[in-house]
Amino acid sequence: MRERYKNGVIKTNKTLLTNKPIPPELEARANELLCGAMPLMAVVGDLKLSGRYGSGAILVCADRLIAVSKELETDGLMLLFEDIDEASVKRLYGNAVFRVKTSEGKVMDLLRFTYSTTDLCDAVSEFIIKVKEGADIDEQLRVVENTYQNLRSFCPKCGRKLASPHADCMNCKGKGKMFEVLFGYIKPYIKRLSVSIVLSILTTAMALVPPYITKMMVDDIIPDKNMRMLVITIAALMGVYLLQYGLGALRAYLLRITGDMIIVDLKKDIYAKAQYLPMKFYDKTSTGSIINRINSDTTQLQNFMLRITQEAVVQFFMMIGIIVIMLVMNWRLAIVSLIPVPVVALLSRYFGRKLSPMYRRLWRRSSSISTILTDTIPSIRVVKSFTSEERTIKKFGRYMDDWMNEDKRAAKTASIFPNAITFFVTCGSILIWFVGGKYVIDGTGDLTLGVLVSFISYASMFYNPVNFFASLSDSYQNALASTEKILDIINAEPEHNFGKGEAPRFLEGKVEFRNVNFSFDRSKKILNNVSFVIQPGETVGIVGTTGSGKSTLINLLMRFYDDYEGEILIDDINIKNIDMEFFRSKIGYVQQEPLMFRDTIFNNISYSMPGAHVDQVLNAADVANAHTFISRLPDAYDTTLGERGVGLSGGEKQRLSIARAVLKNPNLMIFDEATSAVDSETEKLIQDAIDQVIRGRTTFMIAHRLSTLRKANRILVVDKGRIIENGSHDELMALKGKYYKLIQIQSMSEKVAADKAAENFE
Amino acid sequence: MARNFVDPNAVRFTVNDKIYVDAELYTGEKFTMLEPHRLFPVSGLMKYISLLDEEGNEKMIIRDLDQLMPESKEVILNCLNERYMIPKITRLIKRTEKFKIWMWTVDTDRGEYTFEIINSYQSIKILYDGRILIKDGNDNRYEIPDLYALDKRSIKLILPDV
Repeated sequence: MRERYKNGVIKTNKTLLTNKPIPPELEARANELLCGAMPLMAVVGDLKLSGRYGSGAILVCADRLIAVSKELETDGLMLLFEDIDEASVKRLYGNAVFRVKTSEGKVMDLLRFTYSTTDLCDAVSEFIIKVKEGADIDEQLRVVENTYQNLRSFCPKCGRKLASPHADCMNCKGKGKMFEVLFGYIKPYIKRLSVSIVLSILTTAMALVPPYITKMMVDDIIPDKNMRMLVITIAALMGVYLLQYGLGALRAYLLRITGDMIIVDLKKDIYAKAQYLPMKFYDKTSTGSIINRINSDTTQLQNFMLRITQEAVVQFFMMIGIIVIMLVMNWRLAIVSLIPVPVVALLSRYFGRKLSPMYRRLWRRSSSISTILTDTIPSIRVVKSFTSEERTIKKFGRYMDDWMNEDKRAAKTASIFPNAITFFVTCGSILIWFVGGKYVIDGTGDLTLGVLVSFISYASMFYNPVNFFASLSDSYQNALASTEKILDIINAEPEHNFGKGEAPRFLEGKVEFRNVNFSFDRSKKILNNVSFVIQPGETVGIVGTTGSGKSTLINLLMRFYDDYEGEILIDDINIKNIDMEFFRSKIGYVQQEPLMFRDTIFNNISYSMPGAHVDQVLNAADVANAHTFISRLPDAYDTTLGERGVGLSGGEKQRLSIARAVLKNPNLMIFDEATSAVDSETEKLIQDAIDQVIRGRTTFMIAHRLSTLRKANRILVVDKGRIIENGSHDELMALKGKYYKLIQIQSMSEKVAADKAAENFE
Repeated sequence: MARNFVDPNAVRFTVNDKIYVDAELYTGEKFTMLEPHRLFPVSGLMKYISLLDEEGNEKMIIRDLDQLMPESKEVILNCLNERYMIPKITRLIKRTEKFKIWMWTVDTDRGEYTFEIINSYQSIKILYDGRILIKDGNDNRYEIPDLYALDKRSIKLILPDV
């Protein structure tokens, strides 16, 4: 976030970078310490140095650092860069500290803050060190500026943080947005729905005729013993019923099909959206919960929409029609029959408020159950191999019990609700019998027996829609909870494709990382100021201990994560400015654990290039050393693999995965520990395949076994998120650094293993 | 490599810096600038404390803080309290929610604070011992030790989210 600091008294001739205004209680002291110097950036922390919530700040000029806090001696201090030996951010748990080490060796904590400002302080410490070392101040300032801009910006209207800079503010959109989105799905079917509504009005009108005929029969036709009229009325009644139920069937069919179409559109959209969601979304959301949203939440919504579209319209017109007829027949009795309505409406509101949180809690429980299912059923081999069936069953049982307990609570309220409503509705009928009966007996109120009987019929019909709308809130609450979850996906921000349509004619394969910093969350920095250049066609080995950041380098290059600082360039173009689809189509990616689909071997290979010619697939399989074993299978390329490739060995799956990558003829190849999970013989087969594949292509190879990297032109050694060594095998061996040590350790362990094997053999 | 589980009666810890301690073993062996880390920061606050040197290498593990001598225990506890910031929520002052973004203003043992919860389904977790763990939009953590020990209004506001 970049803002001109207008209101404060701190003077600056440049735009001051700051995360928020300097607190007034610290500003005067900061000004004193600045002594007229112009600050370039400021970070305001949200903790006191003691760890309690409060504030402190650091301001950085071109040659000095100022820290202000009520807990510092004399409320603040000024340090010239030349007096600072080190400036760093020490990440603790849930908070971090900005500390400096002076040239006299004194370590001082200057600012404490929650994770909200760690990235800024990282950038500031980097700035101080680089400027002190003589780096160009404007260039360093641009790097820091980038970090400030990468911070999630704020909604100008309500001040809340946005999910990303320039994103829509969910707060300001409000719940109306939810219905707006749902209406977007209903809109294409508005004609069908209109026809249905007309049919609904007709059937409702038909339903209102029979009680009136009852009145005619009781008051006129039967007392007059008019046989001719009786036959005519019965025939008319028959015709009305026929029309009512015939049109009703047509309407039900139309509405059901329309409801299904709307939900199909919604499911397709959620699924499509899920494909384009960034990896960060999947890191934080369980797959069980996503599947739950696509399946059961849309079904929940479908039930609700059918209920609304099929019944609500009918019941609404029915209710209005009955009120009008009752008022015309006898307005006094009509008012009596309306007495329970306010009670019903109030009760409905009360129960609705009670039910809403209950359904949210219920959803949480059912989502946890889905997560357990998606965790354990596909991993049944692991469950069985560790004989943990009983444990799994118990855990599942516990979650089910949890759901049951929550459901019991919801069921109690949900069951009391309709019955309480019905009770008040019945009281209304009793009231009509009493008041109407009295009118008929006394001969007052202009009421005949026929009118009373037909009134009672209308009243019982009237309470059906009242009852319906009262209980609707139950399914409304349920649907609302589901809608929220569905919109969570629909409204989630997809991967950014800033360079859509921007596809260079040819990619040579030069790759550059420029000052790249990255963290999955703010608690730990995964990549720290990574910079390197790879020339086209080079084979690069990436080595380092587990968790050093090797795979993260690849994840960023693949654009699985975009929210890093710095730049990644290919052929000197920022990868964010290249069309994502085009860019990924130029990369062949072979993972440690190859994923196969439940499909034929042919389709699994051609997954990377749908519509590939058979010759191309055979050639790719051949290059990947896979053709021989495939052709030996009884069904060869038509062999259908089980779920996730069941039926093939790890090495075979890996070679299929290489064939899949080769088929699309990529400019860049990435092997992420491709040979780490196979035996030596299979490793050789895979390695031969890799050697064929990488010719003429820029290749990145993360390898556990360093012996496989000897052919690499260049080796990057990653340690704690930094590139600590960069050079050829021979250069790094001569350097006798980390790579040398790793080689030594591995040669030793290989020798020991070989000796042991020989011993056993003898 | 075998872990070095330290004998609680054969070690003495002294303060070095806020988050660092020095250790002296009964054998005379000395370590300086050790950083205590909880191996189970969620489920075992007093058990299995790992002590790392400046390089991040583990030098020893304390199985149970309660087994240490009182002075040493206090030194380690102070260090852990300094390092681990999981404010304990004592009252929910305000909770507003619009379109799945929650904003909570809370009273904690470290003062009043306002934070955002981007997605309550993923960010609020209830543990089997009744504690509730909350992660805000900036990955900061908070804890409600016992929901039902809070005031009625706070319970009412929090209950729908757990």
